[in-house]
Amino acid sequence: MFIVDADVHVNDVPGALAPYCDQPWRVSLEALTTTPARYLDIPGYAPSLKLDPPMPGGHENRSVSTAAEMREGLSALGIDAGVIFPDHMLLFAALPHIEYATAISHAYNRWLIEEWTSREGRLYGAMIACPQNPEDSARAIETYGKDDKIVAVYLPTAGVNPLWGHRRYDPIFAAAEAMDLPVALHSVTLVSPAFPCQLDQFENHFGRQSVSHAFGMMSNMVSIMHTGVPARFPKLRFVFTEAGVGWVPYLMWRMDRYFREYRRMVPFLERPPSEYIKERMWFATQPVEEPEEPIHLVETIRHYDPNGKRTLFASDWPHHDFDHPRAIKNLPMVDEMKQRILGENAIELFKLPIAVPATVS
Amino acid sequence: MAIYEVGPIEAFPPNSHRVVALGKIEVGVFNVDGELYALPNFCPHSQGPLCAGTTSGEWRCSAETGWKHEFGRRGEIVVCPWHGLEFDITSGRCLSSPRYRVRTYQVSIVDGAVTVSTDR
Repeated sequence: MFIVDADVHVNDVPGALAPYCDQPWRVSLEALTTTPARYLDIPGYAPSLKLDPPMPGGHENRSVSTAAEMREGLSALGIDAGVIFPDHMLLFAALPHIEYATAISHAYNRWLIEEWTSREGRLYGAMIACPQNPEDSARAIETYGKDDKIVAVYLPTAGVNPLWGHRRYDPIFAAAEAMDLPVALHSVTLVSPAFPCQLDQFENHFGRQSVSHAFGMMSNMVSIMHTGVPARFPKLRFVFTEAGVGWVPYLMWRMDRYFREYRRMVPFLERPPSEYIKERMWFATQPVEEPEEPIHLVETIRHYDPNGKRTLFASDWPHHDFDHPRAIKNLPMVDEMKQRILGENAIELFKLPIAVPATVS
Repeated sequence: MAIYEVGPIEAFPPNSHRVVALGKIEVGVFNVDGELYALPNFCPHSQGPLCAGTTSGEWRCSAETGWKHEFGRRGEIVVCPWHGLEFDITSGRCLSSPRYRVRTYQVSIVDGAVTVSTDR
């Protein structure tokens, strides 16, 4: 079975991106190289409010800094190909400085292609969109999106303000649709003033982590639906990454119910939200829910994906809560469905040059 | 079932641990303040290398502690490096869930050598 991982992460520290960054902002990234690198917490680069006391215990954070190291790490997990997302740039939407953010987005995309996807045959990239500068980002999608190894446009999700359904982002959606690249929302636990990331009410990371990803995805999916993005961009495909799958049936059913009541407010939706979800939205499994009865997870997937074609295995390697492919392999579902979730759905969605049915050569 | 010699006692100094092979399986041998324990190097959650992790203590906060935080049993807990699940080295109990208990192995010192038994 050929296994594709829809979400792996690379260590995008300021010093790594600096050589790829236009002046004058290269100076800023160089200045940050003397700032102690903390996991998803670099002031002025990956800003998040860290409030907790250190508590002994827990496991080390992992990061991957070279393409060869990524290939080795994925091989050890039995994964054949991966789609790259960033580490620190998961918090990118929280950067308020438009010029600086724009420069960093270009640096990341150049670095991604130069240092990662062009160095390993089976590493693909999700180029970063810059919500702070949608017009520039649309041009960037046309430029970097031409690269064969760029297979998606990553939409920084945590802290994005306004949410991704706002019409200011239409140029980004139009460019992605024109380039036939799916857009991939990716959440992270971020304490920020932007809805729904005001996580300061939680006293510890358990609370924040439990709600942050799912709330980020749910609010952005509703945002996208309530301004009719899937209707206005009828070929655009969407991926929701790193929030598991349990939230999908709930939100799908809830939106359908209120669509029946409030259809007049969203007349651009020609069909119930669930139909757009089932038609053009994909969901990455990690961090996959771990119910006591695994069949409950299989049934959850069936609610939004009856044919097993809209679910993508993702490991989130090398992050602290990564999933091994056996999290899917061990589920009580038919082998054909496992094969689709573990590889074939991603091959089709990202148009990877790998034959389907996929077997390891 | 068998008994394996895994090295001289000097190789397991107090408050250290390391992974050793018993034939085809791996176990972590722990010296906690002079007492020896062994657990499988295998986390039942996601099959991670449990005993390659660091040791820590147990955070408690309950009616017994007056709902105040306490940190004790230092060195008696091993933390899986894959996902951070905590296991009591002395009993194999997983601190977060009874779903994930691991077995323990009998460890002895015979003529200065540490032995681990796979007998139940």
